[in-house]
Amino acid sequence: MSLDALDTAYEVRPAERWSRRALLNHLMTPALLVGVVLGLYGWVQAQDLDSIETRVLNRPAIIDATLQHLQLTAIASVLVILIAIPLGILLTRRGMQWLTPFALGLANIGQAAPALGVLVILAMLFSVGERIAIAALVVSAVLPVLRNTIVGIQQVDRNLVEAARGMGLTPGQVLRKIEIPLAVPVMLAGLRTTIIICVGVATVATFINAGGLGDIIVAGIKTVRTPILVTGAVLTAVIAFSLDWLAGMLENFLRPHGL
Amino acid sequence: MKHAKLLPLALTALMATSLAGCGGDSGGGEGSLSGASYVVGAKDFSEQDILANMTAMLLEKNGADAEAKRITGSVNTRTALESGDLDMYWEYTGTAWITYLKETKPIGDPEEQFDAVKKADAEKNDIAWLDHAEFNNTYALAVRSEYADEKGLATLSDLAALAASDPGEATICVESEFAARDDGLSGLLDAYGMDVPDDQVKTLDTGVIYTETDKGDTCNFGEVFATDGRIANLDLTVLEDDKKFFPVYQGAPTMKQATLDEHPEIADILAPLTAKLDTETMQKLNAEVDVDGLDAEDVAQKWLEDEGLL
Repeated sequence: MSLDALDTAYEVRPAERWSRRALLNHLMTPALLVGVVLGLYGWVQAQDLDSIETRVLNRPAIIDATLQHLQLTAIASVLVILIAIPLGILLTRRGMQWLTPFALGLANIGQAAPALGVLVILAMLFSVGERIAIAALVVSAVLPVLRNTIVGIQQVDRNLVEAARGMGLTPGQVLRKIEIPLAVPVMLAGLRTTIIICVGVATVATFINAGGLGDIIVAGIKTVRTPILVTGAVLTAVIAFSLDWLAGMLENFLRPHGL
Repeated sequence: MKHAKLLPLALTALMATSLAGCGGDSGGGEGSLSGASYVVGAKDFSEQDILANMTAMLLEKNGADAEAKRITGSVNTRTALESGDLDMYWEYTGTAWITYLKETKPIGDPEEQFDAVKKADAEKNDIAWLDHAEFNNTYALAVRSEYADEKGLATLSDLAALAASDPGEATICVESEFAARDDGLSGLLDAYGMDVPDDQVKTLDTGVIYTETDKGDTCNFGEVFATDGRIANLDLTVLEDDKKFFPVYQGAPTMKQATLDEHPEIADILAPLTAKLDTETMQKLNAEVDVDGLDAEDVAQKWLEDEGLL
């Protein structure tokens, strides 16, 4: 068995991965979401809006808030990947494992602390704005990726790793060719959780001038205007579902063949 | 006035939550309200805690069994009153007008505003308003005093002049609610003929606005509440609303009409308290809680004793 044989793990057989039924399943979600957005648009249009509702529910403002929300979520998710995956891999290496409980403990605190509290404390200590909001998002959402990276690598069959080592692979090669590919599905499941947390927590970014759909939701809550509140909440949910669907596609794409 | 005041310090937050569980002494005593029991609601900020505790103490003095109970948010408090979880709480004319009665245009004259709210709430919702206090917890724009002195700012017209001569200086911190309301930012800018670009309007939470306005990095001007104790503590200058744009937010006890019909003397019991509460008094009391960190119940009791009401 040569090293090349291991590469078949990456070989994609389109027929199996994208059968007609799978394709239909994958297209269901975006179709539904588009339907929900159109339905929301129609419903808001049909409402008799008063001046407060008209002020908040104007197209440029909504598009602006949605894009800000996506931006906050995207930047925070990328940062989480850049921080948590290397850290998770590092913590599974021999000699580093004793650090794992501490790292997970810290990440646990981040997820357990109320996001709004983290946000306001950071704002008090530093300043307000998008950067602080993103920092708070990362603190709140780093745990799932970190935990799943560690778990994903730990659950790789030890016999496989031993066999690979026996074939003369260096620890680095074992990591690249065996451990990471087999851990990818678990890692990506963690990423999906992280993205969903980010989308939710990004709604409180409004409190420190970082925009997002929280602007709309909070205005709706405080002025008790249902159309405003529903618009903000539904759009937030649509973003969460869309990103989760994208991550699902990514997972499908990166999953090693045969798992 | 509806907003969640997020006190930045964990200490204050802890103190505030501990208040939630505070009630009056149990057991009714002698008096015209003997046998009645009341839950007095408070929205989640100090002024409301103080008012609710004062009200509960006066009801207890007259033989009722009363306790103050903190609720999060104006809407929830109002809902709790309508559903019977609360028997009464202090509401503000402007808030009821805009939020519950779904009006968008405030009435300039305070007495007319109060009468309109009282009448509409009685007709539509069977909610009774007792006489209102003098204090006015209205919106205002504040600025750090040294900056106000440097630029010679005393009124909102001065701010409009500054925005015209030096547009970059007119940076304003507001809550998203203030940005949405008719009696909020857009109406204010129209009334004073100001033009402030969107990127100079920053949306923050109430508690953060005070500290940021004091720092002056994020914004030079902040939307504040007139009776807030932090205005004096942080040495902020409130710009006078010289064109009388902002509506009046006078506080008054509200309850279901049925509650009042059962014991109409509640109105007479609370009248002496209502008569004594003006804006300065409220600022002083709020500061004792928000700035000095005293317990709202203690502040309420001490003031009632000093005023000879207990």
